[in-house]
Order: sequence, then C-alpha cells, then structure tokens
Amino acid sequence: MKKVHIPETHVAHPNVTPLIDIVMCLIIFYMLVAKIGVTTGAEKMDIPESIVGTDIKDMGNTLTLNVRPGAIEEPLVTALVKLPGSAISRQSELKLRDPASGQNQLLNTLKMYRQQNDQFKVIIRGEADMPYRFLEPVLVACADANVRNVNFNTKKVSEKTGG
Amino acid sequence: MRIRGAKAVHYDSGPNMTPLVDVVMVILIFLMLAGSFGGVEHYLVSSTPVTKTGGGANTSVVPDEVQYTITVDSPMGLSDRFVVRAGDLVTSDMDKLTAALVRKRKEFNAAGTATDKVQVIVAPGRTVKYKFLIDVYQAALSAEFTKVSFQQAH
Repeated sequence: MKKVHIPETHVAHPNVTPLIDIVMCLIIFYMLVAKIGVTTGAEKMDIPESIVGTDIKDMGNTLTLNVRPGAIEEPLVTALVKLPGSAISRQSELKLRDPASGQNQLLNTLKMYRQQNDQFKVIIRGEADMPYRFLEPVLVACADANVRNVNFNTKKVSEKTGG
Repeated sequence: MRIRGAKAVHYDSGPNMTPLVDVVMVILIFLMLAGSFGGVEHYLVSSTPVTKTGGGANTSVVPDEVQYTITVDSPMGLSDRFVVRAGDLVTSDMDKLTAALVRKRKEFNAAGTATDKVQVIVAPGRTVKYKFLIDVYQAALSAEFTKVSFQQAH
C-alpha cells in the first residue's frame, strides 16, 4: 500500500484551545461588566474626592446634573433630559431663569421627573472648586421639586490627605 | 539522545482556528478599550438636600427631630482654606471634626435621642468651596449620622 507523506507544517502549529478558553472567558467578563453606549449625561469634570460613599445599582430612576460656576452669579447646569413628547434624550442646559420665558427650567424639569416617578433620584456632579453659592440654587430647586433623594457624586479615594 | 515519537506524524483534521482567534482578539481589545467601569466613583446620599431658613420658609425638618448645625466658612479672601465650627470646636482638621461628631452622636444617644432623629445641618458660607463641604459631609457620615443636609448660605 502506498504511504501518503504529510508535510511537517501540518503538525507544527500550537494548541490554541487553552488560549481560546481564556479569551472567551475575558470576552464574556467584559460584555457583562462593561457599560458600552450607556450614558447618564455625566460630563467630564474635576469632582470632589471622598472615602465613604455608596454605589447606585439602578441608574434608571436618576437624573445627573452637571453643575459648574456660571457667567454671572448663576450656576451652569446641564443634564441629559428627555425631549417633550419623545423618548429621545438630549444633553441640555437647564437655566434657573430662562431669558425668553422667565421660567426656572431646572425646577420645571425636576418637577416633571418627580411627578412621573416616585423613586426619582438626582445625582449632582459639581466641580470641586465651585463656591457654594452656585450649588445652593440647585439644592433649593431639588427641595422645591420635592426630590428627597439627592446623591453627591465623588471620586473614590482609599486614603485622604488632610483638609 | 533520541526522543521516541518526536518525529511521529499527527494529522490534525480539525477546523482552522486562526480566523476565530483573530476575530475574538479584536472583540476583546474593543471591549477593553471602549468599556467603562463604575469602580472609580461613588455617591454620598442625602435624603434632605437643603434645609431652608429665613422668614416664611418651609423647613423640611420633622417636628420631633433634633437639629445640630455645623458652620463652614472660608476666611476673607482665602478661598483655599476653611474653618468649621461645631459646638465649641473650631477646626480645619477633618479627623478632629469626625471625632467631635462621634462624641456628639454618643451624647445624643445617651440622652435618649436616636441617631435617625438627629438632623445634622451643614451651614456653609457663600464662598466655601464644594470640595470642603463634601469633606464636612463625609465627616458627618463617618460619625454615623444618617440625616445630613445643607442649609442656605449665610
């Protein structure tokens, strides 16, 4: 019987099965843990640090308010807000006094969310160096809109340097 | 020394795994770069965002609650410093403030006032930086007070 000669290249490749096992585990891990395409409206800014704090598991009932010092004495507040009559959300500035209508857009927005959802929560992302006079109107708007759950977003630190 | 079977021919008729490994590696690298993880930030929770003061203001404090006020000010023209006043204590040291608040909470508890009946009010000046207020807020939470709120600026 004639013997078939098999080229050596067919036998020289490494066993990739353990590699695929590990890589598949990593992919499943990242797919479960990573938050891709999920935005809360949080903008990049220098927020304060804290050691204590809790995690919010369900971000579905939350509205993230980005608070910065404004041009005059008013804060610049932005949030990812649902457009009226639509399921689409857009990052918008919420003025405390709209020049056109004179209305408090922040208060109206908070009231709208609060009426729709009893579990409504507000997350405040404020710049660390912002004076309190810019934060105060935001807290007052939350209180006026009857928002009882306000969370101050901070950076996790394991050890704090002195105050 | 001759290794027996080293040159033996093993014909592997399994599928070619190279394209699979290529694609899987691309997916893995994408997920590692694009994914964001919630491990770097957390939240300080408040059930009462602000306590109003002044004429005609509706306070959000429950009648049988005891209020304990911590005043925070920045010395004139020095926005990078702050001074905290809590009872007799005047300090900028958060460890001292935490220790004083722990003692205060124990005093409340010894007097028969449950911790959840104490409303700690942080009363900041207009110019005090937010990061300093978070430090004070954190000190109150570290002292195991559960109800902490801000007061309108004085």
